[in-house]
Amino acid sequence: MPQVEYKGKVFDVDEDGFIDSFDKWCPEWVDYVKESEGIQELTEEHWKVIHVLQDYYKKHGIAPMVRILTKVTGFKLKYIYELFPSGPGKGACKMAGLPKPTGCV
Amino acid sequence: MPFDPNDIMKDRITDIGPPKYDNFFPPYIKENYGKWKYHEILEPGVLVHVAETGAEVYTVRTGAPRLMSVDYIREVCEIADKHCGGYVRWTTRNNIEFMVDDKSKLQPLIDDLRSRGNWFPMGGTGASVTNIVHTQGWVHCHTPAIDASGIVKSVMDELFDYFGSHKLPAQVRISLACCLNMCGAVHCSDIAILGVHRKPPFVEHDRVQNVCEIPLVIAACPTAAIKPKKVGDRKSVEINQNRCMFCGNCYTMCPALPIADGDGDGIALWVGGKVSNSRTAPKFSKLAVPYIPNEPPRWPTVVQTIKKIVEVYASDARRYERIGEWIERIGWERFFEKTGLEFRHEHIDDYRLAMTTWRTTTQFKF
Repeated sequence: MPQVEYKGKVFDVDEDGFIDSFDKWCPEWVDYVKESEGIQELTEEHWKVIHVLQDYYKKHGIAPMVRILTKVTGFKLKYIYELFPSGPGKGACKMAGLPKPTGCV
Repeated sequence: MPFDPNDIMKDRITDIGPPKYDNFFPPYIKENYGKWKYHEILEPGVLVHVAETGAEVYTVRTGAPRLMSVDYIREVCEIADKHCGGYVRWTTRNNIEFMVDDKSKLQPLIDDLRSRGNWFPMGGTGASVTNIVHTQGWVHCHTPAIDASGIVKSVMDELFDYFGSHKLPAQVRISLACCLNMCGAVHCSDIAILGVHRKPPFVEHDRVQNVCEIPLVIAACPTAAIKPKKVGDRKSVEINQNRCMFCGNCYTMCPALPIADGDGDGIALWVGGKVSNSRTAPKFSKLAVPYIPNEPPRWPTVVQTIKKIVEVYASDARRYERIGEWIERIGWERFFEKTGLEFRHEHIDDYRLAMTTWRTTTQFKF
């Protein structure tokens, strides 16, 4: 498993750049990923999406469906794509430290 | 405007869709669009469509391996440039169709195609075995139980004679899917080749918690064989082996439950499906052979079994009768008798609505 080092922290990531374990997540991870995800500056709204994803994952053990994410955050899908250009799965979930989305994606 | 990795949204073009289909119409198709009067099959692989205006369009259909290199596509383009004014089309079964608007151009095109060895075999029209709709197999997918391209090549080699001829009672559609996700058309084909597993997945307990969303894994199981389980201080799952029917859905959702197995995996053959509404309603294909081992690179048992089914059908069915219609007329017991296939307990449906597939009548042939 490849390792990346950023601001003194070491992360194990898979070939798509997802963190190996949700427990290893820390705010530096978000900072590290944001560039490869095409995000210049992290705003309050980015963090709101990340926190909603993390809270839902901690409570339910799965990532929320897109409709739940939009309902809870109040951001329409179009706006979530503006925040995270790769989308809620590849972008937001990766930054939130959730497992990589599976299924016929 | 080269792609700038530092500003990925700069000059980004999106939501433009595919190019409009009629940009690529040959002029004689565009002129006669919606005005076709009738068509004829002149010989296997060659069609003519006649328009109300009197215009004629000749189509030559050739087989293709679906998985193809750019070199091959360039050769297709070269033929299209030479004979068809640069126009060519692909069919829904991944055959290639070259069209010309004049009879004098037809024979040179056919001669050219034939001169290229077996790269462009003509056929696939009428009551034939046309191209096999198939999937990725070991070329690209991570959930297959069998290969796709290899088996398709072996089967088409054996049935090649039926591709370029019209000697069957009706068209026979063969398709292949390398796992029971059934990408493609296996559930509705005259003969379907399907990859199956025979062993439950292996649970990598140390990875499940990290790479899987456990509730999704549990919900993915059609027989409810999976339940959550703690292994040490890690969350994982437990699979009830007596309830598992090896569908592999849980591996699709969770990379820590690999199921592929060299000895266990193999092929099931299904028969009797169709999608058209002609004569009888569309049908699902039904199980004919529950398991044949993987035998790369030529899969001789599968090939011979399919050939046997096609030959028995060809000699026994009435004209226009698809395989499913033929079987329903003679009865499944006769189908197994005539083809010599073994009827086993795996053939008897035992999933939810199974009761509707059992025989609730005394009508039966000994």
